[in-house]
Amino acid sequence: MQNHVLGLARYLRDAGHRPQVLAPGELGPAAATLDSEEFCSVGSAVPVRYNGSVARVNFGPLSAARVRRWLRKGEFDLLHIHEPITPSISLLALWAAEQPVVATFHTATPRSRSMQLAGGVLRAAIEKIDAGIAVSESARNVVVQHLGRDAVVIPNGIEFDAFASRQHVRPQQPRLIFLGRLDEPRKGLDVLLAAVPLIEEAHPELEVIVAGQGSRSLPAWCSSLGTISEDTKIALLGTADVFVAPHLARESFGIVLVEAMASGVPIVASELPSFLDVLGAPQDEERLGELFAAGDHQALARCGASSPAQPDPLRASRAQQAARGYDWSSVGSNVLAVYRAALSAAPVPSAATVV
Amino acid sequence: MSAEEIMGLVVILALILGWRITWLATRVDRANARAERTWEALDAALVRRAQRALELVLIPDIDPATALLVSDAAAAALEPNLSRRDRERAESDLSHVLDAVVPTLSANPSMLESERARASICRRLHNDAVATAQSLRRRYTVRIFRLAGRAAEPRPFEMAECRELGWPCDR
Repeated sequence: MQNHVLGLARYLRDAGHRPQVLAPGELGPAAATLDSEEFCSVGSAVPVRYNGSVARVNFGPLSAARVRRWLRKGEFDLLHIHEPITPSISLLALWAAEQPVVATFHTATPRSRSMQLAGGVLRAAIEKIDAGIAVSESARNVVVQHLGRDAVVIPNGIEFDAFASRQHVRPQQPRLIFLGRLDEPRKGLDVLLAAVPLIEEAHPELEVIVAGQGSRSLPAWCSSLGTISEDTKIALLGTADVFVAPHLARESFGIVLVEAMASGVPIVASELPSFLDVLGAPQDEERLGELFAAGDHQALARCGASSPAQPDPLRASRAQQAARGYDWSSVGSNVLAVYRAALSAAPVPSAATVV
Repeated sequence: MSAEEIMGLVVILALILGWRITWLATRVDRANARAERTWEALDAALVRRAQRALELVLIPDIDPATALLVSDAAAAALEPNLSRRDRERAESDLSHVLDAVVPTLSANPSMLESERARASICRRLHNDAVATAQSLRRRYTVRIFRLAGRAAEPRPFEMAECRELGWPCDR
């Protein structure tokens, strides 16, 4: 989500708008691409267990006052909030907003039970959203069912050319890549590690490379690059023979898949709704990658073994073409279209802002 | 319990009820206002779409049959003082006609296409606003205390949606 917000802010800036980003926590390295005037932090966030994983959140009167001050100082025409229904600055900003609000729903929409228990305050906040955006059809379903609101589906964006223009350097041995947090079970690294010995029966020389935050013990045949930069990631994808996304649950949007597609790498992914939105259904002849039931390491091994053996260049180029549709040039202009629609229904007809 | 205590309790309860009603009234008011404003935006977007559609007739090599089809549908949608029902039907017809015609054109009418996308988003925002207003109006407290006032109940604008408009995921 951080990359998404920063990518959108860059797009808006290049399109001649003056976006400002308010974010929880400290400045990450990725924020260095924006000026310090464009980026503001509410201060250190508190890690709290929320919705099944540890979230860094801001709450309380102090944070609320900071958010309100930022909103007043910026005199924004429009406020774009990401993941509005999280107990953090998103919700505080929504609460304090006096300008038209566009809200993007990624995933962490709370269970309807906690929605009911939180009561009218939350309902009233949701009613303040002027235009909803959902990153996928499945994210939109959640918005419709749990919040009783509607949303326009606009996927997350990528810098297509950065991925597609890489020259492919095929290493000698077939190479399998995993990207994602190593220590978070729902990213599914365990499923992959269980499947690799089975894949190696068909491809004894298989090389397995994982990259992502977090630390954990890994078998000797698996090399880990740790946290990698965007450029290293692009280069790494350019050397891959197969990209595996073994996620177990609750992935809001398959941006990792789209990046792999843009790089022209064959994909093996678990059958999560958000992945199917990107790749197509398992029974679809035209689907853009191999799919397996989430958590099933044997099924993963079967897909993983066939990919390097019989590469499907036609499918890879189809996938690359599909990934072009996720370039910021089209995603960003769709977002701008929603901004314009929200502004055209604003009380006072009036640059853009992202939280 | 003494009479003073009972009185005090009644006053507190009345204050809570009053605060709740005021707060709900604010929400109803905001929802109604949003439904109205989004309708004005949708109305304007539909008019612009029809105007852009009429401009297709000016394409140099357009055949007369296409020109007649489009201008007829666009003119019907631009007809003043249509009833809501007739407007919905006319706009749906225009959507269908544009769906059929646009792919056959030699050049992509980008202005028209962006107006179609705009109208589609505006319609979604409007119907979303209407749904919020309606669900608030159905609430017990809102009905009992007539918090919706005399504002007419907003209705969603039903019309045939254009086919895919280049949203990569909006299938």
